[in-house]
Amino acid sequence: MADIQHKAFIFDATRCIDCRACMVACSVENKIDMDKTRIWVSGIGMKGQFPNLTRASMVYHCMHCNEPDCLSACPVGAYSKRIDGPVLYNPTKCIGCRYCMNACPFGVPHFDFDKGLLQGAFIDKCTMCPQRIDIGLQPACVATCPTNALVFGERADLVAEAHARIQAHPDRYVNHVYGEFENGGTSYLILSHVPFTELGLPPLTERPVKEVSEEVMGFTIPFALSWAAVLSGTAMAVHWFNKRKEAIAAEKEAKAKQLEEADK
Amino acid sequence: MKMQIAINKRLHIGLLPLILLVLMGIAFVIAMVRYIYGIGAISNLSNSYPWAFWISFDLFTGVAISSGGFLMAATVYIFELKQFKPLLRPSILTAFLGYIMVVIALLVDLGHPERIWYMLIHMNGTSVLLEIGLCVMTYLTVLAIEFAPVLFEGLKWQKFANLIHRFIMPFVILGVVLSTLHQSSLGSLLIIQPAKLFPLWWTPILPVLFFVSAISIGLSMIIFESTLSARYFKLGLETHLLEKLARAYPFVLGLYLVIKFTQLTLAHSLGLLFTSGLMSVLFWTEILVGALIPLVLFSIRKFRQSARGQFYGAIMVLLGMILNRFDVSWFGVKHPDPLTYIPTFMANNVHYFPSLPEVLVSVGIFSGGILAFGLAVKYLPVFETEQHHDRAS
Amino acid sequence: MPNTITRRDFLKVSGAGIGALVLGQFIPPQVAEAARASGLLDAAGSGYIPSMCEMCVWRCGLLAKVENSRVVKLEGNPEHPHSNGKLCPRGQSGLMNTYDPDRVLTPLIRVGERGEGLFRKASWEEALDMVAENMLSIKKNYGAEAMLFSTTHCLSQAQFENLLNAFGSPNYGTQRSLCFNAMIVGNLVTYGMQEPDRKYDDLKYIILTGRNLMEAISTSETSALSAAIDRGVKVVTLDPRFTKTAAKSSEWLPIRPGTDLAFHLAMLHVIVGEGLYNKQFVAKNTFGFEKLPAAVAQYTPDWAAGITGIPADTIQRIAREFAAAAPYAMAHNGWRTSNFVNSFQTERTITILNAIVGNWGVAMFNESGEETGSLGSVPQPPYPRVTAQRLDGVPWKYPFVPLDIGVFQEMREAALAGQPYAAHGWFISRQNPAMSLPDRGRTLQLFQKLDFIATIDILMNDTAWFSDVVLPEASYLERYDPLNLVGNRAYVRQPVIAAQGEGRSTLWIYKQLGQRLGLSDYFQYANEEDYLKQQLAPLGVSLDQVKQQGYVDLPGETPDSSDEAIEPKWNTPSGKIEIYSTTLANGGFAALPVWEEPLRPKAGEFYLLTGKVAQYTQMGTQNNQYLHKYADPPRLWMNTQTAHSLGLATNDMVEVTSPVGMIQIQLLATQAIRPDCVYLTPGFGHMSKGLTVAYGEGASDSDLHQTFTDPVSGSQALSQTFVTVKKI
Repeated sequence: MADIQHKAFIFDATRCIDCRACMVACSVENKIDMDKTRIWVSGIGMKGQFPNLTRASMVYHCMHCNEPDCLSACPVGAYSKRIDGPVLYNPTKCIGCRYCMNACPFGVPHFDFDKGLLQGAFIDKCTMCPQRIDIGLQPACVATCPTNALVFGERADLVAEAHARIQAHPDRYVNHVYGEFENGGTSYLILSHVPFTELGLPPLTERPVKEVSEEVMGFTIPFALSWAAVLSGTAMAVHWFNKRKEAIAAEKEAKAKQLEEADK
Repeated sequence: MKMQIAINKRLHIGLLPLILLVLMGIAFVIAMVRYIYGIGAISNLSNSYPWAFWISFDLFTGVAISSGGFLMAATVYIFELKQFKPLLRPSILTAFLGYIMVVIALLVDLGHPERIWYMLIHMNGTSVLLEIGLCVMTYLTVLAIEFAPVLFEGLKWQKFANLIHRFIMPFVILGVVLSTLHQSSLGSLLIIQPAKLFPLWWTPILPVLFFVSAISIGLSMIIFESTLSARYFKLGLETHLLEKLARAYPFVLGLYLVIKFTQLTLAHSLGLLFTSGLMSVLFWTEILVGALIPLVLFSIRKFRQSARGQFYGAIMVLLGMILNRFDVSWFGVKHPDPLTYIPTFMANNVHYFPSLPEVLVSVGIFSGGILAFGLAVKYLPVFETEQHHDRAS
Repeated sequence: MPNTITRRDFLKVSGAGIGALVLGQFIPPQVAEAARASGLLDAAGSGYIPSMCEMCVWRCGLLAKVENSRVVKLEGNPEHPHSNGKLCPRGQSGLMNTYDPDRVLTPLIRVGERGEGLFRKASWEEALDMVAENMLSIKKNYGAEAMLFSTTHCLSQAQFENLLNAFGSPNYGTQRSLCFNAMIVGNLVTYGMQEPDRKYDDLKYIILTGRNLMEAISTSETSALSAAIDRGVKVVTLDPRFTKTAAKSSEWLPIRPGTDLAFHLAMLHVIVGEGLYNKQFVAKNTFGFEKLPAAVAQYTPDWAAGITGIPADTIQRIAREFAAAAPYAMAHNGWRTSNFVNSFQTERTITILNAIVGNWGVAMFNESGEETGSLGSVPQPPYPRVTAQRLDGVPWKYPFVPLDIGVFQEMREAALAGQPYAAHGWFISRQNPAMSLPDRGRTLQLFQKLDFIATIDILMNDTAWFSDVVLPEASYLERYDPLNLVGNRAYVRQPVIAAQGEGRSTLWIYKQLGQRLGLSDYFQYANEEDYLKQQLAPLGVSLDQVKQQGYVDLPGETPDSSDEAIEPKWNTPSGKIEIYSTTLANGGFAALPVWEEPLRPKAGEFYLLTGKVAQYTQMGTQNNQYLHKYADPPRLWMNTQTAHSLGLATNDMVEVTSPVGMIQIQLLATQAIRPDCVYLTPGFGHMSKGLTVAYGEGASDSDLHQTFTDPVSGSQALSQTFVTVKKI
């Protein structure tokens, strides 16, 4: 896999204390209606029976996939991926079809089900704080995290860092960096002490989810043209055949009439 | 059976049309509320269920039941099986109204219905939904053209009718191609969700399966609509013709089953067939009711020849295949799970059932379709073949 | 009877004076201009202003982002050691504290019955005059001591103390006895200081007794502990609940409440008995060690196992591991140590534990103290002599409790009893005793008994709800406060925006009040900026410079406590760490740590636990909309099996009853708590309808808490209340 030179996050579930400072910081920074956060907490919470208990939680937002499914699925191309990583949404194009919500394997885009036509119902999701990263700051969630569960930087560096952490404490981590290759690689890399499914992350292959769909879509025009050709051919053949049949029948009838005439 | 209600001395309206009008009115009011207060105000759609009842019923099912149109157009114009002509116009009408209903439903379901035409100016070539959108828009135009002769004849504009008749072939071919594309693409919509659609249904060849089953649905819709129209509009039953049509069932359904089970075998999913709880039940219901049992029944000539058999057989296929549409777009789709535990106020609830207003919108739109069908039959030469005014029996 | 009263309903605009009061130079100058002048804001009124958070007592330095004279974002100030550039969820929500729609923005005077919540708006002049009149009247008729003063730790506390000392009342209540008296007094008699500083950088082994740092977030300390865990430091947590800190620890010991003392005594037994302590350090720096072995001989791990529920070999192993890791081992004192009456002994034991493994200079330091002298101060004449006894029993009943800490719950009890004399008035600043003192019914009784109550607050908190006069403080983003010393720097709090409405700083309020009380001489500063300038005078820096940077470095070197050349000194009678405390002995108390049997619940009763939540600060932030949105709803936790056996399930409404009160709350059945305990989300159950977000949510543990005071440290024992639970 070629090195992808762009920004990324590491989320280390062993460090997250579920304080939700990131949620407050994000909503304040991006002036979002606090009813609609761009960050969620997920995870199996607590597991086990007293007193043998473990706890796991994950904060997540848009994974800023390298091969975004939302971008592939949106009929009007309202999504775009910046060269340095962020997957951005453009509300001026959005028709509100919500296909992106289905396409995203992580359930990230969320929609204004409570807004009518005048207010404008749009999709919203994490933007990777371009207003901050473009001036050298970290995204709001990363900047405030008291335990450095979230860090931010160049993806290649962070992939190395993630693996280094696993090597330094192999008994602590599941030996896998989620997001390094999943769905073709994401910009949100996750380290965990519990199986990733317990954090709510779907098991995904390295092959980007959207590829099969795009391949099938790629057949559309060749198929349409071939099919039209086949149908036209068939129509012409059938027509010719029927005309022939009619002609033969007409001939026969004419001959029969001739004979009849001749008989008279 | 038909009750008449007098509104005033001159205007009489049947009971059924009145009910349909009322349902349409209710749907209209609900739609207005939706436009003012948002989709959540009148439905149970949420971030966990962005697509549910409307998409399954209005879009998936609505498009599927309009497949009779291209089927009959191909049969009559491409394969020149002229004996099926009596079935052509009603099926075009059904398809035409079906697609109009789909578009109206989309105008309620889309977040920005006023931007529906954006698909014409902002095009993302990898999007299955774009393809569906463009095809539907174009095909609606084609259907309008295919139906226009009926309108023109009704208006006594014979010259225009004849004009269209002359150039109908390219439109028919275009119509069949477009129909093939978007009937199959509805299946393709789900290809981008391999992790979310249960493996008994997810496959890259969903479009093929959808197309084949769309043919069977088309056959069923023709039989269904023909039988009901005969009863309601006091026309003779076309049993003889329908029997000929029904001969295609075993082949189409058989093909469907072969493709489906080959796909499951190659995907190593056979083990899931009986071990997947509710998913298994849904799958087998689809297969048995929608394909296997009708396949057997329609292979029996006596069954195929009886009007009753045709009607109930067609209904079985319809129900089974509509269930398939629902399974692929809703029941078989995994929704965000309760592992997302904060914030619950964003309605990441995983329990969804359509609300009453949600259902009433679809019912109202569907009622509009039925009402329009009835009006068209009443005032336009739908059940007459072109240039003839007597019924072929 | 009014049911739902909004603020608009009960506020009636005063007909009287809009204010002939000349505020003069006290009107905060248009902050935008001042900030622009010092280069902090650009022409559009945008930029970053350094200041300090006040969402809890950790007071992280922050950078406030201002756009068009509005605060739009708060960031941690990387230059402040308490934040290091980070802010916890409460810090990030600080905007909503300032812009809370429920802010009290004008002085209010009560018009209805006390507790009815009917107020009218008044001018500062009228309100301040009224407060002064009442205070002087009480002083004249009953003596200055009949006026109670209380405040919670804040940056203007010195001026609050100035006011009450100048007024002549000895009755000073702080929240400390509800929190960490046990720890403070324990440290004082052992180390001669209230609380040593802690450093996590080099540690290998940490024992936490409570101190739920992952939920009671003190940003930098939480970061430090998290970094230590990340490095692989072994952390042992003693807690009856599986807190988020317990979840991050290497080992969680679900210890029976009230028995931390037994655990630590057994630790001492093992370490002393097996000779695992640091003999050199003990010989050089401690006093009375020779008496310790005999004192702890009986506290075997087996003995402790029976009491705590923790296996004896676990206790033994941990003691050995702890000693082996020394001096890179630390037993954390805890912070809110107001658990059981025996908590003082627990604190003594932990303090001694740290001492005998010799971790001074590695884990624990004394880094503060020297620099206080380098700041200037406002001249003050001597205070009037006070002859009256304090109502809270300090020092005549509680000889070891510092005067500026007190025993708050005893002050309330004595005032209620009218012994040794009656109290007639109460002046409260930045505090909510209606929610914090145990047994809230009695606090409300006291409210009804008093002639006059005045409160300074930014919101209509519960105590303000019961007051006669409410004075609006400017929020921490809107005001100046005296400089705050942290490490070797003095940090400034400055207005980030102009104060909304009529809000004013307490520096201003105290001076205005002082003037009306005839105490002008004690408030020799013209305004807040003048006060700060006087503080800065010896340093030779301008206020503008400090405002620019957010802080000023203090002269002199920080004594490097790890430098072996410097002899550590302890402010005790022997000048050494007192394992045997002569102070305690002289007071007639046990001079060495001793086991005290804690109360236990009867069959069918539960320990009622409390504990911090990351998204809240005690009972002051439940109205903050951001925190309210993102926090879990308040619940009563009960162990799943126990709940099942009582026929209870999550979301059931239950009735919780203690000897003094009853509440109703929804249940959460969880594995994360001992079967004999229940835990109530703290800080809810607000009575004030002026808190439109918080009112009606949850329930207050203060309704349930009985008052128990530890005779040595004056600490309130919050966990000694036992309750029954039944389904409604």
